[in-house]
Amino acid sequence: MKFPVVFRSILLSLALVLPASVALADAYEANLPDELGTSPRMCDYVPCAEVLPGATSFSERKGQPPYVEGYAEENGQKRKIGYVMLSTDITDTPAYSGKPVVTLIGMDTAGRFTGVKVLKHSEPILLLGIPESALIGFNQQYLGKFVGDNIEIGQSRPEENLIGLDAISGATVTVIAQNQVMMTSGTNIARQVGILKPTLREPAKFIETGVKPDWAKLVNEGSVQRLVVTPEQVGLPRSGKPFIDLWFGYLNQPDVGRTVLGDGPWRSLMSRLKEGEHALFVIRTGGIESFKGSGFVRGGIYDRVQVRQGADSFTFRDLDAVNLYGLEAAGAPAFNESSIFIVRSKAFSAAYPWKFVFLGNRVDRATGTRSFVNFDSEYWLPEIYLEGGRPEVIKPDAPWVRVWKARAIEIGLFAALLVAVGTLYGFRDRLTRRASRTNKWPVNIFKYSAWLISIGFVGFGLLAQPSITQVLTWFHALLFQWTWELFLTDPFIFLFWIFIIVTVFIWGRGLFCGWLCPFGSLSELLYKVGGAVGLKRFQFQLSRKWHDRLKWVKYGVFFGLLAVSFFSMGLAEKLAEIEPFKTTFLVGMFNRSWPYTLFAAGLLGLSIFTERPFCKYLCPLGASLAMPSTFRWFGLERKQECSNCKACAVGCGSQAIDANGRIDHRECLHCLDCMVLYTDCHACPPLSQERKRRTKAGLPLTPIGADGYYIPIKPVSAAKAQAA
Amino acid sequence: MSQDQNQDQKFDGQPDPGRRKFLNTAAFAGLAGAGLSVGLSACKQEQAPAAAPAGAAPADAAPAHVGKYEVAPGQLDTYYSFSSGGHSGDVRIYGLPSGRQLKSIPVFNMDCMVGWGITNESKAIIGTKPDGSVKYKTGDTHHVHPSYTDGTYDGKYLWVNDKIHGRLARVRLDTMECDKITELPNVQGFHGTFPDKRDPVDPAINHTTRVFCGTEFSIPLPNDGHGLDDVAAYRSVFSCVDAESMEVRWQVLIDGNCDLVASSYDGKLACTNQYNVEMGVHYEETMASEWDACLFFNIARIEEAVKAGKVTYIGGSKVPVVDGLRASNADPKTALTCYVPIPKNPHGVNISPDGKYYACSGKLSPTATVISHEQVLKWFDGGVKEARECVVAEPEIGLGPLHTGFDNKGNAYTTLFLDSQIVKWNVEAAIKAYQGDKTATPVVDRIDVHYQPGHGFTSMGETKEADGKYFISDNKFSKDRFLPVGPLHPETAQMIDISGDKMMLVADHSVLSEPHDSIVIRRDIIKTRQVYTLDEFPNAVKDPKESGVFREGKKVTVKLTSQAPAYSLREFRVKKGDEVTIILTNHDKIEDLTHGFAIPKHDINFAVSPQETKSVTFIADKPGVYWCYCTHFCHALHLEMRSRMIVEA
Repeated sequence: MKFPVVFRSILLSLALVLPASVALADAYEANLPDELGTSPRMCDYVPCAEVLPGATSFSERKGQPPYVEGYAEENGQKRKIGYVMLSTDITDTPAYSGKPVVTLIGMDTAGRFTGVKVLKHSEPILLLGIPESALIGFNQQYLGKFVGDNIEIGQSRPEENLIGLDAISGATVTVIAQNQVMMTSGTNIARQVGILKPTLREPAKFIETGVKPDWAKLVNEGSVQRLVVTPEQVGLPRSGKPFIDLWFGYLNQPDVGRTVLGDGPWRSLMSRLKEGEHALFVIRTGGIESFKGSGFVRGGIYDRVQVRQGADSFTFRDLDAVNLYGLEAAGAPAFNESSIFIVRSKAFSAAYPWKFVFLGNRVDRATGTRSFVNFDSEYWLPEIYLEGGRPEVIKPDAPWVRVWKARAIEIGLFAALLVAVGTLYGFRDRLTRRASRTNKWPVNIFKYSAWLISIGFVGFGLLAQPSITQVLTWFHALLFQWTWELFLTDPFIFLFWIFIIVTVFIWGRGLFCGWLCPFGSLSELLYKVGGAVGLKRFQFQLSRKWHDRLKWVKYGVFFGLLAVSFFSMGLAEKLAEIEPFKTTFLVGMFNRSWPYTLFAAGLLGLSIFTERPFCKYLCPLGASLAMPSTFRWFGLERKQECSNCKACAVGCGSQAIDANGRIDHRECLHCLDCMVLYTDCHACPPLSQERKRRTKAGLPLTPIGADGYYIPIKPVSAAKAQAA
Repeated sequence: MSQDQNQDQKFDGQPDPGRRKFLNTAAFAGLAGAGLSVGLSACKQEQAPAAAPAGAAPADAAPAHVGKYEVAPGQLDTYYSFSSGGHSGDVRIYGLPSGRQLKSIPVFNMDCMVGWGITNESKAIIGTKPDGSVKYKTGDTHHVHPSYTDGTYDGKYLWVNDKIHGRLARVRLDTMECDKITELPNVQGFHGTFPDKRDPVDPAINHTTRVFCGTEFSIPLPNDGHGLDDVAAYRSVFSCVDAESMEVRWQVLIDGNCDLVASSYDGKLACTNQYNVEMGVHYEETMASEWDACLFFNIARIEEAVKAGKVTYIGGSKVPVVDGLRASNADPKTALTCYVPIPKNPHGVNISPDGKYYACSGKLSPTATVISHEQVLKWFDGGVKEARECVVAEPEIGLGPLHTGFDNKGNAYTTLFLDSQIVKWNVEAAIKAYQGDKTATPVVDRIDVHYQPGHGFTSMGETKEADGKYFISDNKFSKDRFLPVGPLHPETAQMIDISGDKMMLVADHSVLSEPHDSIVIRRDIIKTRQVYTLDEFPNAVKDPKESGVFREGKKVTVKLTSQAPAYSLREFRVKKGDEVTIILTNHDKIEDLTHGFAIPKHDINFAVSPQETKSVTFIADKPGVYWCYCTHFCHALHLEMRSRMIVEA
């Protein structure tokens, strides 16, 4: 009776601690000055000197993407000692929260990192759980490392020239994203300022076929590509019209160039180009934004468009642009802005794929802050125009692919576990028939194994404890922006969720909650161990009345969190600490401040005495899965007699069988105890009765059918028997 | 005189035969000068008014047609039009179809905007007197013609004549600036000019290497004060200038004069129409004969003669002169020149894009004379008895034909000065009619223009890539076509769409006085530079640190650079009486970021484009402070972009 009070006091102490921890996390959702994104004098707003020690003055933002130069004063002379860049000027790689970690990065003139400062992040894990200092410590690893080196999260592999960085356990997504941000930003600026040499690519050799395809064919074969940006992608209200609708294509290839421009203009254009120079055209067929802007008029630089090939990016200045006089290809669309841009670099080769990039600003509709964002569209000249076809291109794997490759074995084992448990459960009838009230081992041997594996391997090993925060993130991702990459970066959670979603709709949430949830497994294991070591007499269940009241609390928790998340994802993430998962598995009991440890330990301690208290009454994740479990395809079987026979209900640890003998599949954790009884002719009262009747009457004991009854004895007529 | 009558006449395509006879001398006495309209009034009355007043524009110029020739904001013109500026002395660039003027290239005139005639570099091109001042400040440009490769424009050069002082100038089409001017010896009234299209002998040279120049006014040769009244001994020469070096290669002494010039597509012939075979000195004398001529030059033979030393030299000129007089060239097989008789004071000779025919416009004859290129070559081989047999057609087309343009469908478009019309006629039909085919009707269409067209030309019409899109009629009188701006009127360049069967007048473009010839070039042919490079100027101040004042006696050199919004020197000091040379290099690299440099009270202003260097030399003759400032808007701090020239007493 007094346990709710215990919960309450734990919750209370948690609530008291929260504000204190928020105050400690100083970069979490930090307010950055609006000018930071746009002002040329970036270093007036952020501490550039902290990441480039020794620098006393800084230039204005220059280049595209922008960076600043840092100078030291020496004998009254300014000497350039390095560069400072703002990560969000260069890349919008999202971290775990789906938002970028705004990082200020310093690099010396030799391309070595001199400082890293996180200005702002939205990572919930760093807010509660892992201290922000962990990220700072992670970033320290970059200092002195050369930007051109192959730096990855994980073990160093000297034979592959790979320098490894120690990850932050429990925040791998965050650090993988952070590494990508560091390396993308660093190499980009290093290339711009000439520290890193551009990649030399074999120039394309064109096949001239003499054909003149029409516009539709050009589009179809990929000689002309499109790049559309919608208003919502830049934070403007949705509308039927695009923000900008561009078409572009490569002109040096004679067939494509002649078709697009017409013979005379194409010859004229080509006569302007020197070796190693490449022309592409861009037209705007719709939208409200200009791809030229007016920056090139005064500054000479086209600051809204760019071409990228591999790690090289090519910007255009006014002298690299010539007028596009018209499109000759039949069926070409009308346009209201156009240009021919010339890439002047031997690094560019039309034989390889490249991207045309539109550089934009996204306005956060809530705060009005502008952030750098870019949109691109890939172009690869069709192989019919290339001598020898398209060369083989080895694309560096996306970070999530690298993760999957790096942990292939564990992923395989984990997937095997999931498949095995699913399959086993699919054949649960065979197990339950072998088991009896007195010997449940045929079932339990598998269930207990699953528990042990999920606690040790899945929970403490892989840190793959699903959490309500993922559900909240998905709700938001579904509503705003869904990026597979984000979810794929954590393969175990990703696979786990596939398993969860599939099994919830087939059998209900019980298979995950009852068999595979690391915390749930730990909780029930403690209960079982407690009972086995002689604490059985202290073990108890809440009364049906209280159970039926309190089981709704978890739904309240879930909806509360969901509601809060719509106002503040950050706050919702903090309140999600009601899950003791982070303390138990991700961070560890002894790495957290005492209220968290106490809360988790308290719940686990309580678990020794009552079965799964957290799962039954508090778990918002369980609640969120319980609701769809209503629509499972296959429930556990019942018999007519179950409505007044309470034999199973008594033994139901989940207290999921109600007064009418119905199983509440939202509460059921698939322990299968009732199913063992279902076919046990010594334990299931209706079966037992029938068994006794038949034994008395000398009737044969036919096998027990799928409906849980003995297969009825039907006399067969002689004629039929003969015919058979 | 109803509108209908006018329309009828236009549509039947046949002019009133009653008037279609050679006009006698007396009728044209009034042609000279301002008496023109009065002199012609009698003729005009037989016909409908040349055009309805502007307020009642004919139906075929209805606004519905016109809209599609507008160039919307952000869109670009499809053609460049390069036009002579007449006695403005410049060359203009227009965009077509919009008719917007894009640039005036100063050539023979002074231009204080860019400093043409002010900077040392421009003075060196124009030519100077011993005291360093510009030799001529006036010029009269008539004919602009660009260089050719393979029968069409290559966008490299453009040549333009100065009729007043007998000079040929070359404009680089990559920078659109004049880079050379050559003064022709033994010449007055240098009017027609045309580059050749390929070498007559060497097939490898399939581009322009020569520029031909005609002489309209005959003078005593040498014109040194002798034989002033010996009118019969006045002569004209036809000149050939080297396209690259701009040196005069050779001249041909001829009978009669040269008006306009054309060159053949195979490089073998050049020709000029002659309106004064009489070599009269007064206009009635020039009209004395019913026949004038179109004079052909056999380029290969002339150059062989020059090579063989069969030349004379006139006065102190070092230019070899060969004899192209009639008497000396009686035998076609050795002749350098061929005089093809043409009716009465022809004006304008143009070659068709297929290279087969020359059209000479009759001016005082209502005809156009079509001469076969093949026949002229045959004449030079002795295969044709009389030179007149080279004429293959002579359709009557209207009164006062002056210039002819061609489309890509075998039609010619001739300006009719007196009729104020453009007449479209078919060359093959004219040939058939000349051969006696009564069913052939050469004239296809007519359209009124406003008023009195002089030159007319078609888009790409002087190349083998003639496209038959537009005809531009450069009219000599605008009268009521524009808002009145006082007694001196602008001229009208009217644009006619010739792509259909009927000509359509689609735009009136105003042009400042007074363009003669123009050419219409497809935009893709022109490839301009966006900025200069420092290296192309030997005197460039390549580093702002080189700036300073350098004195050698009374000669002071001030080296300056500009980079928005400042000059490299905030002030510089010179002494009264110094000969100051200012060298200014614009270090800005941004396209279109041009700076100016003006010095008050010293009559200096010029502009330097990005990476360009210019210099001026002047005497600082007034002590005081003179604020040099940037005159070409460059920057938000443009007004602050200044430097003090301090002249110490």
